[in-house]
Amino acid sequence: MKPAAFDYHRPETVQAVVELLESLDDAELLAGNQSLGIVMANRLATPDHLIDLSGVDSLSGITVTDAAVEIGAMTTHRTIERSDRLAEVLPMLPEAAEQIAGPAVRNKGTIGGSIGEADPAGNYPTALAALGGTLHLRSAEGERTVPVEDYFIAYMFTDLRENEIIEAVSIPREAYPVDRTGMAFVELKRAAQTWPTVSAAGAIRVDDPGESEPTIETARIAMANAADIPLRVPDAEAVLEGEPLSAAALDEVADIVTESVTPEGEMHADREYKAEVAGEYAKRSIRTAHERAIDAADD
Amino acid sequence: MSTKDITLTVNGETHSLTVEPRMLLIHAIREELDLTGSHIGCDTGNCGACTVVKDGEAIKSCLTFAVQADGSEIETVEGMEDHPDADGGLHPIQEGFEQEHGLQCGYCTPGMIMAGKAILDENPNPTEEEIREGISGNLCRCTGYQNIVKSIQYASDKLDENGEVAAADGGRAETDGGFTCGVENCCGGTGFDHTGGDNE
Ligand SMILES: Cc1cc2nc3c(=O)[nH]c(=O)nc-3n(C[C@H](O)[C@H](O)[C@H](O)COP(=O)(O)OP(=O)(O)OC[C@H]3O[C@@H](n4cnc5c(N)ncnc54)[C@H](O)[C@@H]3O)c2cc1C
Ligand code: FES
Ligand code: FES
Repeated sequence: MKPAAFDYHRPETVQAVVELLESLDDAELLAGNQSLGIVMANRLATPDHLIDLSGVDSLSGITVTDAAVEIGAMTTHRTIERSDRLAEVLPMLPEAAEQIAGPAVRNKGTIGGSIGEADPAGNYPTALAALGGTLHLRSAEGERTVPVEDYFIAYMFTDLRENEIIEAVSIPREAYPVDRTGMAFVELKRAAQTWPTVSAAGAIRVDDPGESEPTIETARIAMANAADIPLRVPDAEAVLEGEPLSAAALDEVADIVTESVTPEGEMHADREYKAEVAGEYAKRSIRTAHERAIDAADD
Repeated sequence: MSTKDITLTVNGETHSLTVEPRMLLIHAIREELDLTGSHIGCDTGNCGACTVVKDGEAIKSCLTFAVQADGSEIETVEGMEDHPDADGGLHPIQEGFEQEHGLQCGYCTPGMIMAGKAILDENPNPTEEEIREGISGNLCRCTGYQNIVKSIQYASDKLDENGEVAAADGGRAETDGGFTCGVENCCGGTGFDHTGGDNE
């Protein structure tokens, strides 16, 4: 058998999960197994215990209030992709979800697993870096909340402690009024099975989409697979804010992003190429987000 | 070595197994149940040769431990001929692969057929783009995909015809475009709620 032997636990409450995390040595949480399964098959991970979260019903689901969107850790990519409510209020998330692998992986993979894995190429880590938000973590000692920007520390290294579970992520809606906000998640990717070469998450809020050249109030840009963490690029955002969108500003965004990223070279894409393409994809995400912000008024 | 007792219902037949937790679902299906139709290409989630339908959804059975599938209903390529839509012969999807030259070496085919079944169970009349999206997690190194897409389109058309004939017969009803896959406790046709919390 390819994975090393382990003991299997399937608790039904979050309390039981955190107690197991406290009492077991070398335990790993099991969500969709779409990342863990691979590292275990390669024996890059050989945990003594797996704690399967699929029996904990309270961990899945999407809650939308006027103030925020909250997504439970065990919510699958497929559910996020197909959520009409999310498509309405935070469309970047369904657009990021639908571009992960093929349907079979999306049927099982979860947002909590993706944040737990913390791959800097990951779709949700990048979308969340752009949107901002809070991770709700729990251990036997109680709940702790961590802003997304403090969570990703270095390559696949996060602020999550060994005895903690991610329960949910919440994203405040205040910055993204639906009638004047546009979002886009764009990827350069060779095939469904591959991770993206780079992805760009862009969001734009304008003052008045009915005007011919509305002023950009807020811009958000984050890049995947372009640094050791999902990388937000505030300098590029600053170029856009307070002005209507212009071709010159878009070019400047591309240049700043290309300057800011520090990607690893890969077999199919060396560093220089990735940096250049990152700039181009940042520009595309902003251009699309801007078009959608203007269209938002008509919906 | 710890073991777990699990129950898997595969193609309608219920099996009780005692497995090590590390046993992958694909190994339980192939080695414990001797259903070797589902293939292993990569064992790491990339190729889709191991695709089976679990509780109405396509999954990669190499990225699922058998213990995670405890209590579930699994469909594999071996069950296709016994499906009501097969009507005593090949299932329309299998027939499509035969008629449209949807395979060459055949290694990817069981996974493609099950991915195709998941597509049609949910959406009996998919567009070409929807079919391509639905098989996007399945690799084929021979055909170039074109004929695989045609094979699934063939099945979609054939199932439509059968539906019309059956409805004219007063047989298997197809009401308001709804679709029943025919397997009890399977996908529930288009009525299956994909929007709620998913908690496999
Ligand atoms: C072929 C293929 C292509 C893919 N392409 C992409 C892609 O383009 N973009 C992308 O973003 N992803 C991609 N993925 C990864 C996919 O999104 C995974 O589903 C995801 O990264 C992990 O989610 P999971 O639920 O499967 O977690 P698991 O694999 O079960 O767990 C992953 C890690 O997170 C930990 N964990 C899980 N849940 C929690 C929790 N609630 N709290 C704390 N820790 C937790 C686990 O202990 C483990 O260390 C791809 C996967 C495959 C197989
Ligand atoms: S064997 Fe499962 S995806 Fe390749
Ligand atoms: S027919 Fe040979 S891999 Fe598809």
